Amino acid sequence: EEIVLPRKKTWDKLAVLQTLASTVKRDPTAAHYMFQDDPFLIPRNAASFRLFSLSKESGRNAAKFIIKQFPQYFDKTFSEPNIPCLMPETLTPQIEGVSEEALKERIHLRMVKESVDLFDQLLQAGSPVSLETTNSLLDLLCFYGDGEPTPEKQEEEKQDLEETEVNASEQKAPKRQVQRGLQAAGSRENNNAERIFKIMPERNAHSYCTMIRGMVKHGAPAKAHDMYIELLNERHKADVHTFNALITAIPYLKERFLERWELAKVFLNHMAQQDVQPNLLTFNALLKTLRRCGGVGRNTAISVIKEMEALGIEPSLATYDHLLSIFYRGVDLHSSGIISEVLNDVEKRNFTPQDPDDANFFVTAMQVCCDLKDIKLAYQLNKAMEKGDNWKFLDVDRLNVYWSRFFSLLCMMEQIDVVLKWYKEMSPSLFYPTPKNILDLLQALDAANHLEMIPSVWEDMKQLGFSKKKLLALMSREQHPEEVQLVFARCAEDIRAVQEQTRREQAALDWSSSMLGSVVLLFSRAGRTQDAWTMMERFQQISRIPTGEVMDEFLNCAVRTNCPDEAIKLVKLAASLGLPSSQRLKSRTEKEFELSEKQKTTLGSIKSDGDSSDSDSDSDSD
Amino acid sequence: MKVEVSYRKKLQQLKAHEMEKEGMGSEGAVPQRTTKDIQRGKPLNPELVEAAAAVASSLPLNKQQTESELLAQLRRHEETTDRQRKGGTINIRNVLSEMAVKRQSPAQRGVRVSNRISLELDEDGQRIKPERLSPQSFDSRSLKRGRRLNIFAKASPETENALKTVSLPTIWDLEFAKEIAAITAQPPRNGFEEMIQWTKEGILWEYPIDNEAGMEDDAEFHEHIFLDKHLEGFPKQGPIRHFMELVICGLSKNPYLSVKQKVEHIEWFQKYFEEKKEFLQEI
Repeated sequence: EEIVLPRKKTWDKLAVLQTLASTVKRDPTAAHYMFQDDPFLIPRNAASFRLFSLSKESGRNAAKFIIKQFPQYFDKTFSEPNIPCLMPETLTPQIEGVSEEALKERIHLRMVKESVDLFDQLLQAGSPVSLETTNSLLDLLCFYGDGEPTPEKQEEEKQDLEETEVNASEQKAPKRQVQRGLQAAGSRENNNAERIFKIMPERNAHSYCTMIRGMVKHGAPAKAHDMYIELLNERHKADVHTFNALITAIPYLKERFLERWELAKVFLNHMAQQDVQPNLLTFNALLKTLRRCGGVGRNTAISVIKEMEALGIEPSLATYDHLLSIFYRGVDLHSSGIISEVLNDVEKRNFTPQDPDDANFFVTAMQVCCDLKDIKLAYQLNKAMEKGDNWKFLDVDRLNVYWSRFFSLLCMMEQIDVVLKWYKEMSPSLFYPTPKNILDLLQALDAANHLEMIPSVWEDMKQLGFSKKKLLALMSREQHPEEVQLVFARCAEDIRAVQEQTRREQAALDWSSSMLGSVVLLFSRAGRTQDAWTMMERFQQISRIPTGEVMDEFLNCAVRTNCPDEAIKLVKLAASLGLPSSQRLKSRTEKEFELSEKQKTTLGSIKSDGDSSDSDSDSDSD
Repeated sequence: MKVEVSYRKKLQQLKAHEMEKEGMGSEGAVPQRTTKDIQRGKPLNPELVEAAAAVASSLPLNKQQTESELLAQLRRHEETTDRQRKGGTINIRNVLSEMAVKRQSPAQRGVRVSNRISLELDEDGQRIKPERLSPQSFDSRSLKRGRRLNIFAKASPETENALKTVSLPTIWDLEFAKEIAAITAQPPRNGFEEMIQWTKEGILWEYPIDNEAGMEDDAEFHEHIFLDKHLEGFPKQGPIRHFMELVICGLSKNPYLSVKQKVEHIEWFQKYFEEKKEFLQEI
């Protein structure tokens, strides 16, 4: 019998690890993996999450910087096989002298200034530089826009949402000086790129194209357009990237919406005439321009999509993002036609990144769902997000925004137990609730009459570090069963402790009258008369007057706990503040308390001066 | 301004036609005149018929034919008007949107800029509120229905292949690729993903562990160890053989030399012993 040996299977080097990784699900009680090192450094809210993750990255970058600056200390290779990415890179050019080879090397190493100097030297020495090398030098200059490539810096001040700062380990490339370029747009008059372009003996299409792209990138759209006209005059053909750049520059070239669209059509027609096939980025750039064309954009966006379809180009997430922005942003629109179709398309596909704007899709879509107040769409969107690798499009900042919007929508539209389920699942492991989220949650609890959950919410809020005012207001609004009140009172005490810890000397000034009133109410309802009285005294310190409700409640508490002294003190306080209710309080005290003789006389002696409103001997001046 | 004047004239004409229409007692809808000259109604205006007859008589051609042609033309005009009148208000909109409004003074421009931020300014410079038709027209908007721009033609496969002749990636392409890769590069969510990332970077060994990873060695292990075949040039007995066998044994245990180096060692010994042969013979 023949024994047939099965063919050897070869596995990818990552196969085992990927399988293992797929078995691990997210732990809803744990922080993100990045922070599972030191429990003290686990972030408690969105701001510290960002700060900590950025600092982790910046630590790595600092280490890389040291290795780069002092390569002489890192020349021993211990590991076998050698790990090149941990070793210092050799970035010094090897070829010396003034020659085209040396120039090519410096261009390759992206040394902008040296390349330009070397180029000038070559020209002065009279040796011609080939067109190809000049073109690559132009590429370098146009890309970096006369600045130098700088090592990536992960300082928090520089961050904006567009850049994936947490993943700088992937970014070996220097950050583009886009903002600086935009500001320096005016100073581009005599920059090197243009100078070299002018002195080139011959130019081909590539030279023009790269100049156009550089000008668009660094904020000189009018010049880019002029350069394009020059290119046409020289009967060259632009390539698809150049057209994409020109289309993105349209909003800066024309003001009126129709003119913008007309110019876009001009460019597109030129593309067709020059036999340049548009790609996905062309259409995305077109839609991005149409975002800034108001009603014209709305009328024409669909025909753009149809054109894409006809050419067989599959839309990417950025396409859908632009579509949603065109139809749903800035317009009072309540139709969910477009977004349902978009979601139907999105949920079927597994996306790969093709356009830098892809990352905005999920956030925009969730915002639209919130505006339309449609929870079903939101669920559909969420499912699409969790499919395959689509979650990767949300970096840490966008993730937080996405989830906080989703959660707000849930609080508005769903039953309380569903809301609580999501809350437990998602926070704080996946996202950190914003103050608005907490308020929404409290309102949802309120609407569902589940106010006993509030103390646990308070525990979370303590960690998140939010304001306590509304929480207090909610807690003190109504009467609640006994246990709940006790718990509320404990919350109030926590709040008070926190409040007074912050600034010892001026602790009283941090209170507002409503907050104080709420705290007094809570203490009173829980029967903690002494605490309530301490808080009442604060009213004078902040020169505010407690409301009638507060005082009544305090009196009730005093009655329940049988503390006539406190009641008398209250009446004195009311009298000293000249409140009209002091008379009423006085009579109540007389009626509801069993007063001793001494107390009766004290009570009687308190004059309620409703007329004289200046402070009396009781008030301390702080 | 020329445009404004012509617009005003058009409005006047519209109004005039409307009044005359009402005078003739026809429908109340605002008639949209695409041709400005001829008045019409249903049936053809008797004045028109008279006028046509007068024209026909003034021309030297066949009177009857001319007259019938003219009347037929009038009827055609009328039909087109009716058809277009049905799409009444939208035509006005077309007319309005086609007109270019003169650029206003800077003050007005400033107002326009601020209006752009507000929701009411739908089209720039033209203070038109978001279309009142929009609720209905919006619901009818769909990604499935619509006409394409018809600017491009789908590339045939040959042109596609021709386009695929790639030149060296320029700095633009490289940086774009990096940017795209950075979109979905999220920090690892668990230890395995971290290991995956390290493996990609080359920091971690690749599974299954291959303990020859990173070693470039052209020869197999048996060529390192079984070096007997290089001993053929030596005598088969005697102290030299003994010595060389010890050399072989040491070399086979040496992991640091390549096969070539080991063979060179042995050959060196061979040469050495050849030279010293005369001395050895004497012994």
